[in-house]
Amino acid sequence: MATERRAQVTWTGSLLEGSGTIHEVGSGAFGPLDVSWSSRAEAPDGKTSPEELIAAAHAACFSMALSGGLARAGTPPERLETSATVTFVPGEGITRIHLTVEGIVPAIDETAFTAAAEGARAACPVSKALAGVPEITLHARLAKA
Amino acid sequence: MALPRIVRQADVAWEGNVARGSGRITAASSGAFVDVPFTLASRIDDPDGKTSPEELLAAAHAGCFTTSLGSELTRAGTPAERLDVRCTITMDEVEGVGHRIVASAIEARGRVPGSDTAAFAQAAAAADDGCPFSALVRASATVTIQAIFEGGE
Repeated sequence: MATERRAQVTWTGSLLEGSGTIHEVGSGAFGPLDVSWSSRAEAPDGKTSPEELIAAAHAACFSMALSGGLARAGTPPERLETSATVTFVPGEGITRIHLTVEGIVPAIDETAFTAAAEGARAACPVSKALAGVPEITLHARLAKA
Repeated sequence: MALPRIVRQADVAWEGNVARGSGRITAASSGAFVDVPFTLASRIDDPDGKTSPEELLAAAHAGCFTTSLGSELTRAGTPAERLDVRCTITMDEVEGVGHRIVASAIEARGRVPGSDTAAFAQAAAAADDGCPFSALVRASATVTIQAIFEGGE
């Protein structure tokens, strides 16, 4: 079954001096959020950007895929803490996404956790959609329970 | 001269298994949103007020395309007065592959003084070419652009 999710953005004015608002997402979970070119390309100044939203989407998708993979292996997690960092070079595009995950997972060793994390990186739909990113790196480790 | 690198980070905390657990998403670089909840149910069924990776991608693509379109219109000498861009991301279960993002559909409405239907459509096509997210998503999904010129006087 297909799932659809939508978002709407309004922009007024030119690229450099204008500003936009992500004023409606289908779920209503967040927004309105302001966006501008300077907050995208320079200091964020409290505003989000497409790259930060991609980081959020990837971290969320990866976390769910990892939780699912760990449960299938018989070692469901208690808690996963994931960060995604997106690097964007204007004129070139997104050049790198770095994922870090720290897990509290009963009855698992570091090797099995790292293997599950690698599996989640490959399997999550956002990873597949972003397969054109030149470098998607991952650092996984278990937290001290 | 080194190209300017822009780095943005987001953090997620997930607790429990995938079916019954839940996560929270924070925009770590900007702080623009904090602890936004998501679950498996809100991702594939009714959103129930919670976001999902696909909704965040829809917001990212709409934001990326909008700045690209604004830039193209300015370059053409007809800066936009107002752009309204809606992005719909579709995830589907593909046999043998599992869940996959299959489509991103953009609907762009613009009030652009001095432009016309053809020029606006051309700017929208150029914006699609120039938006790095369009290029990425096109590798695995269909990207469609519908441009609707809404005048501008």
